[in-house]
Amino acid sequence: MTVRFHRPMILACAIALSGYPACAEQIEAWRVFVADHSEPVVRAFDLREGKEVDRFALAGAARLHRSQSGRVVYAVQRDANRVQMIGTGIALGDHGDHGDITIEAPALLDAILAGRKPVHLVERDGTVAAFFDDEGIARLVSEHAALEGTEEPRDIASSAPHHGVAIPFGVHLLVTRPHPSDPGALPVGLDLFGPDGAPTGDHAPCPDLHGEAQSGNLVAVACATGLLVVAPGPERPDIRHLPYATGLPEGKTTKLVGGKGLRYFLGNFAARTLVLIDPTQAEESFRPVELPTRVVDFATHPAKPRFALAFTEDGYLHRIDVIAGQIDRSVRLTAPYSMDGHWSDPRPRIAVAGPLIVVSDPLAGHLHVVDTETFEPTGAIAVEGEPFSLVAVGGAGETH
Amino acid sequence: MRPLTQAALAGLAFAVLAPTAQAGAEPLEVVASFSIIGDFAGAVGGDRIRLTTLVGPNGDAHVYEPRPADAAATARARVVLVNGLRFEGFLDRLIEASGTTATVVEVSKGAHILPANGKADDHHADEDKAEEHHHDGSGDDDGHAHAGHDHGAYDPHAWQSVDNAERYIRNIAEAFCLTDRDGCAAYQENAAAYIEQLEELDAEIKSAIAGLAKDRRTIITSHDAFGYFEHEYGLHFLAPKGLSTEADASAADIAALIRQVREERAAAIFVENITNPRLVEQISAETGLKPGGALYSDALSDQDGPAATYLDMMRHNLTTITSAIAGS
Ligand SMILES: [Zn+2]
Ligand SMILES: [Zn+2]
Repeated sequence: MTVRFHRPMILACAIALSGYPACAEQIEAWRVFVADHSEPVVRAFDLREGKEVDRFALAGAARLHRSQSGRVVYAVQRDANRVQMIGTGIALGDHGDHGDITIEAPALLDAILAGRKPVHLVERDGTVAAFFDDEGIARLVSEHAALEGTEEPRDIASSAPHHGVAIPFGVHLLVTRPHPSDPGALPVGLDLFGPDGAPTGDHAPCPDLHGEAQSGNLVAVACATGLLVVAPGPERPDIRHLPYATGLPEGKTTKLVGGKGLRYFLGNFAARTLVLIDPTQAEESFRPVELPTRVVDFATHPAKPRFALAFTEDGYLHRIDVIAGQIDRSVRLTAPYSMDGHWSDPRPRIAVAGPLIVVSDPLAGHLHVVDTETFEPTGAIAVEGEPFSLVAVGGAGETH
Repeated sequence: MRPLTQAALAGLAFAVLAPTAQAGAEPLEVVASFSIIGDFAGAVGGDRIRLTTLVGPNGDAHVYEPRPADAAATARARVVLVNGLRFEGFLDRLIEASGTTATVVEVSKGAHILPANGKADDHHADEDKAEEHHHDGSGDDDGHAHAGHDHGAYDPHAWQSVDNAERYIRNIAEAFCLTDRDGCAAYQENAAAYIEQLEELDAEIKSAIAGLAKDRRTIITSHDAFGYFEHEYGLHFLAPKGLSTEADASAADIAALIRQVREERAAAIFVENITNPRLVEQISAETGLKPGGALYSDALSDQDGPAATYLDMMRHNLTTITSAIAGS
């Protein structure tokens, strides 16, 4: 099938000052990379054509992340003990008043981050950090080096194996501090590492640390007691604890996503409650958003900052108006996916490709595509196997 | 029907009894993009407006990221006042996200605008001419403007000329008048009173600068925020960073600046309230120029600071500059 975009491709011609017409073709291209729930494969789809353009055999089943630039997809393979990288083939260049786009075939890169049990991965400012739980070590590589295959990863060790995360922050690195006595427990805070890779001694407590996100120049991690909010400071990152507001129901955040275009965070809180977080607000810094049933996945909308998205176990996708702080549209996409059962069972995941929202439906073998404005399905793409974790990359630009 | 009629009559009676009272009349909802425009809006609007200022005291609008609350205020507003000239990089996203139907007013419209490569000698009384000038004088050779987030075609810091601030005030009064006709007389009156104060300020700056030795007029700040002050009043400003605070200065930029400081015998160096002082401290250490205090470039200070209003800010900058030069 073909997924229709709102705006047709246009051929933009401008009369240049020198008098001759400068024609540059304005192209919009989006690729969706989809990992199978249990097979070691990632499939790449051209969203406009609705067709698979390539597939990549990996070592194990993967969870996908995309780099901020959209040039690399990181495939985190917890059980296969590695992070593999796929060059998306789409590069966008920003020239302020216009953007360039170059489109090539996607390709599996040679670069690899190997180690025992990688789970959390964070990319920021062109550096990616994967945390290997069974080693307690973060391995970092720059996106540029990953694309060129030029650099050995750099290791930063925490004090012990644990379910941790490392977050690049300018020349610094934030790394979780393991629970002092229980290796199976969640981390107890963040330690700051300097440009030399050594701890600076700065520590911010954060009991049951789990869930991290970035929005603008801020990073947030979730704790049992509230959030740690990290902002750039004059010498080193400034880390502040933002306690949960007193009016909230019983709960805590364990997953966070960050706004683009608007600076805010969205987290889970209770089974049917998400929370919108503005860390710079003195009042109402936490606004609860009630959902009709338990949440399966949620995401912010990079192209339409006013909206965030949540998928619930009744098979509905919801559009959240982050300014009003409530759901404003809902659409049924799949059969119910109960949140009972194992946390890692196949359930839908959300990705956003410009004006379109893509939701994986692992049991039906589909990607559902929804237009953000009308909030109606514009089509579905059939996928072999169980399409699960997915990311979208692309955009619009001129081809010179 | 009866309660409704009674309510309507009650309202009418009230209106008849107190024809000029503000009670019950909703104030005009106004959003100002940053503190200096917020101060102007307050001076013109007085208590007829309810003002929300997005980028507050000591905030850096070049790199500001709006919050959902900013979008909510923008959605409520009937007038949104912005500087324009690509100063507020966040503006388009915010307007779109808010879905606002407000009138968005670029208050620098009609001011004497300098091109981004700055330091032009001729004035441009309107945007069309400025546009022309840009294309003739600093035209691009490759057919597109490359007016990026960090280098627009024009220098946005137009408020650093008091003459331009007058234009800002007139534009704000006009925007308020168009949206709230009943308040127009009050807005015009407030604007006229404020413009008188601006004219005093302008004369004060001119006479203070005239008293400075001609060869002691080169000073250093951290970003190019004072092109209009230079153009209007005749000081020479150098800065390691460009028109925006967004991009970091390169090592080569800093080395070139240090050379220039020595060649031109710069008289003083200043930190800015909105930028990290480290860069200026480094240049200070390498050149032996002692920092002469903090200048307020793109934002006011908080209420307790020395630059809580535009008038205070300009006077503070003037005395900071003149006393540093006098002591050098
Ligand atoms: Zn985890
Ligand atoms: Zn500036």
